[in-house]
Amino acid sequence: MKRFLETGNFAITEGAILAGCRFFCGYPITPATELAEAMSKRLPQEGGVYLQAEDECGAMHVCIGASLGGMKAMTATSGPGYILYADPFGWALGCEMPLVVVNSGRVGPVSGITGAPGQGEFYLTRYPTQGGNFECITLAPNSAQEAMAMVVEAFYLAERFRMPITVLGDQLITDGFEDITVPENEDEMKEMGFRTWPRGSCAGPNFYPFSDDLDIPPVQMGSGAGGLCSDWTPTEEGYDIEEVEAHHKHAYRLIYKVRNHRDLFNHLYEKKYMDDDPDLVVVSYGTPSRVVNTAVDKARSLGMKVGALRLINLWPFPDEHFSRKTKYLSVELNWDGELVREVQRAAPKDSEVHFLGTCGDLPTIPDLLETFEKLLKNQPLERKGWVLEAW
Amino acid sequence: MKDRLEIVASGFGGQGVVRLGQVLGEAAVKEGLRVTMLKSHGTEMRGGYVRAQVVLSPKTIDSPMCENPDFFIALSSAAYNRFKDTVPEDGVILFDPAFVEEIDEKLACAHRELPAKQLAMDNFGRPIFSNSIALGAMAKLLEGELDKEIILESLLDIIPKFHDKNREAFQVGYDYMS
Repeated sequence: MKRFLETGNFAITEGAILAGCRFFCGYPITPATELAEAMSKRLPQEGGVYLQAEDECGAMHVCIGASLGGMKAMTATSGPGYILYADPFGWALGCEMPLVVVNSGRVGPVSGITGAPGQGEFYLTRYPTQGGNFECITLAPNSAQEAMAMVVEAFYLAERFRMPITVLGDQLITDGFEDITVPENEDEMKEMGFRTWPRGSCAGPNFYPFSDDLDIPPVQMGSGAGGLCSDWTPTEEGYDIEEVEAHHKHAYRLIYKVRNHRDLFNHLYEKKYMDDDPDLVVVSYGTPSRVVNTAVDKARSLGMKVGALRLINLWPFPDEHFSRKTKYLSVELNWDGELVREVQRAAPKDSEVHFLGTCGDLPTIPDLLETFEKLLKNQPLERKGWVLEAW
Repeated sequence: MKDRLEIVASGFGGQGVVRLGQVLGEAAVKEGLRVTMLKSHGTEMRGGYVRAQVVLSPKTIDSPMCENPDFFIALSSAAYNRFKDTVPEDGVILFDPAFVEEIDEKLACAHRELPAKQLAMDNFGRPIFSNSIALGAMAKLLEGELDKEIILESLLDIIPKFHDKNREAFQVGYDYMS
């Protein structure tokens, strides 16, 4: 194995290449520009193709084309670019093309702040396009090393589920440097828990069956399979049709192939001090979870019965972690509260659910400890200049 | 090596703040340590605000934030004023008087003055070498934590050109702190 001090952007690039990605099309944007840069350097070395598109909308369409041509493809951006994926994202979901989409969150809305982290696309990665009638899978690493692992995992899931998978990071993960271990062969990949799935090709003559089955290889254009891969509802033979019953069956496949196979990704979470029914469960994902971990360690040493739950698989939302009635605190890199809404929905009705948001900078350990203490003592939360709503 | 060593460097874009953190981080990786380095910056390539937060540890690093840095390398007045109060009593602020004109005498931590820009002009006639001078000074301050030769080796790995002058500049900074 090789060990480097490198950025998350570099780690993601290496992960994609290890997973078999040989095509990248994107449009540079801070804090994912260095990912495009690293791809432009590394892919030609591996016999792959790097393309820069005219914008993000074009970039993801091009990636769909590459995937339809049988390649494992990836694109990467930040929030302002991720929203421009809205149209092609729907095509990739509807035509069931495997793709990996990396979003490095920065401060929003709109262009916001380029060089600082934000978590404003929690819901956007669940609803990246219009029309409904689909499920999405989102993976959220909290370090450069884990970003590499989650990109490998995203390629694995993309192939098995025939769909685009979002890896949701943030500016600190992609732009930040960290010591990174890169496996150099398949044995080392296995040792690190990396799993891969080869690209198959739908042999036809039919498109996909109206079932929730996985592992049906995606259509490859020109290979004789019936799929037209258009943006209309397909028949089982792959032809366009505007008919409610066919659409019902198509939507069933898009929704239930994910819902009925959650066992493939619902192990992606981390729990700390959760075995003794803590009085307060701190929920987070991405980089804030690392500060939460340190704060929870300190809280325990001070006698506070606090536990930490870190979500890696964000969507479909893992409701199973919230079955216990207790106090929950959602720590997020936004001021408006996104994850907290889902925690509130998933937790038992009479649970107390609270929110601590920062944006641009991570929460500090003293702020977290003060919040834990107040919540455990049933005191109201206050913040500089802000009055927090009760959730 | 203590369980957790925090180093913050902050100044303007173009001063080499990120490179400085990267060299120290690279040296720590070579020494088998775990390393994180966050960088925050504005949109500008040069002139904007930049901060690098480096954490070194023999163990897995949870929080990558430097809330109480052991060392703070201040390369602008704005950076100094923004982060000086985070440095604990046993911490050290390394500052360049060319950029930080006034220091806060009330602080309990130690201040170490390093006229890196002036030393670079006096020795090499160019301010560009002030970064390597600062790294040499840090190598002295980090004695017992990171090996001087490994920091120098990392500097030469990362900086592509003028190895002889950068090596000399590194020594100038090291000697100034000795």
